[in-house]
Amino acid sequence: MEQRKAENTNDLAFSKEISSRLGGETVTLCYQCGTCASSCPVARITEKFNPREVIKMSLWGEKKEILSGDAIWLCCSCYNCQERCPQRVEIADVIYALRNIAIKEGNVPNIYSEFAAGLLNEGRIVPISKFLEKKRPEVGLPPLKPAGVDALRKILSATGFDKLQKKEEAS
Amino acid sequence: MEEVKIGVFLSDCGKQLSEILDFDALTDYVKKVSGVALVARDSEFWRGSGLQAIVDAVKDGKINRVVVAENLPKLSEVKIVQAVEKAGLNPYLVAVLDLKDHCAWPHRDKPLEATEKAKAMLLAAIERAKLLEPIEKLQFPALKSVLIIGGGIAGIQAAEDLADLGFKVHLVEKAPFLGGLAARAGRFFPTDDCSICIQSPASDVKTVTHTSRKCVYRSGFTEIPNLNILTNSKIVGVEGVPGNYKVTIEKKPRYVNELKCVGCDLCTTVCPVEVPDEYNAKLKTRKAIYMNIPNVYPPVYVIDESACKFEDCAKCVEVCPTKAIELNQKSKKTTLNVGSIIVATGFQEYDPSVIKEYHYGEYPDIITNLEFARMIDGFGPTNGTIIRPSNRKPAKRIVMIQCVGSRDRRWNPWCSSICCMISLKHAMLIKSAYPDADVTICYIDVRTTGREHEYYYEKAREMGIKFVKGRPTEIVHDPEVDLLIVDVEDQISRKFLELEADLVVLAPAMVPAEGTKELAEILGIELDEDGFFKEYNAKLRPTETKLRGVFLCGGATFPKDAPTTSLHAHSAAIKTAKFLNTGKIVKDQKTAVVNEEYCGDCEFCPVTCPYGAITLEPKDEEHFVAKVSDLLCEGCGICVGTCPVNAIELRHFRPNQIQAQMAALMSINGASKPLVLAVCCSECGGTVVDSSGMAKMQYPANVRVMKVPCTGFLQVHQFLRAFEAGAQGVMVVGCKSDGCHYEVGVKKTEKKVELAKTLLKEYGIEPERLEIFNMVYIEGDKFAEAARMMTEKLEKLGPLQLMKT
Repeated sequence: MEQRKAENTNDLAFSKEISSRLGGETVTLCYQCGTCASSCPVARITEKFNPREVIKMSLWGEKKEILSGDAIWLCCSCYNCQERCPQRVEIADVIYALRNIAIKEGNVPNIYSEFAAGLLNEGRIVPISKFLEKKRPEVGLPPLKPAGVDALRKILSATGFDKLQKKEEAS
Repeated sequence: MEEVKIGVFLSDCGKQLSEILDFDALTDYVKKVSGVALVARDSEFWRGSGLQAIVDAVKDGKINRVVVAENLPKLSEVKIVQAVEKAGLNPYLVAVLDLKDHCAWPHRDKPLEATEKAKAMLLAAIERAKLLEPIEKLQFPALKSVLIIGGGIAGIQAAEDLADLGFKVHLVEKAPFLGGLAARAGRFFPTDDCSICIQSPASDVKTVTHTSRKCVYRSGFTEIPNLNILTNSKIVGVEGVPGNYKVTIEKKPRYVNELKCVGCDLCTTVCPVEVPDEYNAKLKTRKAIYMNIPNVYPPVYVIDESACKFEDCAKCVEVCPTKAIELNQKSKKTTLNVGSIIVATGFQEYDPSVIKEYHYGEYPDIITNLEFARMIDGFGPTNGTIIRPSNRKPAKRIVMIQCVGSRDRRWNPWCSSICCMISLKHAMLIKSAYPDADVTICYIDVRTTGREHEYYYEKAREMGIKFVKGRPTEIVHDPEVDLLIVDVEDQISRKFLELEADLVVLAPAMVPAEGTKELAEILGIELDEDGFFKEYNAKLRPTETKLRGVFLCGGATFPKDAPTTSLHAHSAAIKTAKFLNTGKIVKDQKTAVVNEEYCGDCEFCPVTCPYGAITLEPKDEEHFVAKVSDLLCEGCGICVGTCPVNAIELRHFRPNQIQAQMAALMSINGASKPLVLAVCCSECGGTVVDSSGMAKMQYPANVRVMKVPCTGFLQVHQFLRAFEAGAQGVMVVGCKSDGCHYEVGVKKTEKKVELAKTLLKEYGIEPERLEIFNMVYIEGDKFAEAARMMTEKLEKLGPLQLMKT
């Protein structure tokens, strides 16, 4: 993570926003012991994600950096950190809360938008390619049936997922 | 009954008050009140000629009740009451009121209204004075003997102080030997001197061989006359009251006669049973007959009954040259009569095996701080050599982990406060013995708050001890290289480290000693939410408990280092000495009293009393009545506020006194504003009014203050009676919810106010005419603000409309 500038851009209301969300309630308990970081399999392989730093920046109110950055999307949800946190900070859930805020604010990485579009349009996250259709009978698999897109859309509409996605497409 | 003759003494504080209040009018008014025999005015009445005037009037028999309007509320009251008592009048026939802070100063802008309020205040004091009753001084025995529970550093120091002062002291230790946790620790930080001396502690040196006052090793503490040491013993029952307790102690069999054993070691040589030596971190074995270390008190052996084969073996019995071994010993109960009890049960190390990711108990090369302390102790299982328990080879790479099970909301949320220093001590001891050893401490925060502690930390850095800021996630064992790997992120360098270690030393939390909860139940004292013994007031009464005869010291209240424990122990000793010194407890009978005619069979007051002062006693075959212990009663009146049938009263706050005072305060208004009765407790609720006045904060004169001992004393009907007496609004002012000086009083009142509001609604009275406020002494501004707001609110509501019946 780059050195943070001493600008007065911190939004301390941000930690309030996080802690008022489902999953984010425990964020203020963090005392930066770093058990989460040393528990994290992702942090070991990339400097782009460190759960301790995500929590710290959240508490500092570095809203812009958190929401527009890659870090929160790199958590693999193994919940190791959450299991071992001595302050019972629900770290993985805090990160979900952050992702929800990011989506609400229109910050969705392309790959997630593509998944979402696929889900809404085809009922599948991974599109069926010509290659796949050709390969299936060769290994003795039946052709794929069309997904129940209508039923799925109803669910996605009930949860508000479709609106979020439209917002994303519009922006 | 003797005719009531009241003397009213009006102090104008050197004319400060007469500039605001019309003292001539006040004097004229008071003179006309029935029962007033004398009115005097002076610049002060709490000392000098003013006080002499009161004393003379009492001595001459001109007056038999004293009402003094004086400032400096507490100080003047004490001085006047003392003088009046000396003059021969019961001190409880005195009423002191404060015309300065409760009237003149807060209403200085409205002198006319203030004068009218002053009249009402004087009338209230006079009416109350008429109904006051003399209260007697009671005496209870205080046995000059003390039970001290716990033979560690705290208990030993307190025992020595009290025994030297001439009290009979019974020092009871659960373990077979004295010393407790500190003796086991081997050395003290930050001086690294040995901790063995606490088995024979800091004292006036009692031996004839030369010993300095500083090093007190073997000072002969155990031989002080008056000191009775009972090891292998525990408390099983306590009866009685402060000053006179009957304690039952159970002494477990030692199977060795303490008077005969010469500590010769023959028994351990022949004993065929070997078990892991728990005292020494299981790093060696011991026999079924053993001493913890060669230098213990009492210097006699003990038999571990879970290991010994008794009559099936009895080899030790045969070999013992003094016939000291008695395999048929049974546990023995004894009773002791003591005046007070000191709890010095200390703390213990938490068992970190519950923290699965650290694998304590699974990998033998992961040990705790206390186990490590045994390892580096010259008397210890390895004679001071640092080894890997798994293969007993030297350990060269050592990783220490801080905050294991402490500062951890899953196990123990508190900071154990001494573990940083313990680990620094251990790290430096390793480095001193093995300069080439590689020592790393993984920490969250290094807390070195004591004297010279920061220099200790500095020295550790100088010695090359490595510090990693980060709490490891896991310790794993690599079987290929037979090493422990500690997984940690160093936050300073932002690097993920896999530290290789021969030995990992954990710094577990310090938790309440085993049996703390049971002991608290036996003694009837409280624990805090972390499970340690709770002081009555951590700041000002740090060794006292809710029970006047029971004191606390040392780690029983929270983990402490040795210097703090010593201070605490000496403090508990002096408090105990003060309590028992005269051989009696003298106490005014300002206590609750039960009207047995009305009282019957409910359990409200015994359950409510925060001091356990009320018991139910059989009245006849079918009925019970409440009995108040004058010794235990603190006179708060929470029982009065709880009794559903008005069967319990306070001798110094009778209902008729309250009623008369209330009516008088509401009898004169003198202002166009609606009358407000502020019922305040005598603690924060009343003193906040004092401080508001002292700071000259302004609020309207229609607000009238009436003090009660604790707001918990109030009954629901009393709120209603205040309206009946003419109040347009009622303020109840008590301490903060969690800061009630009588534990639960104000919390109960909060509920009662809620209930009263519902009733008011039923009677057609706006419930917002009654409000409760929680304040502390220094919040005078808040009181003034509340008084103003209440008045404004009542003005908006308009005059009180009582439902027509």
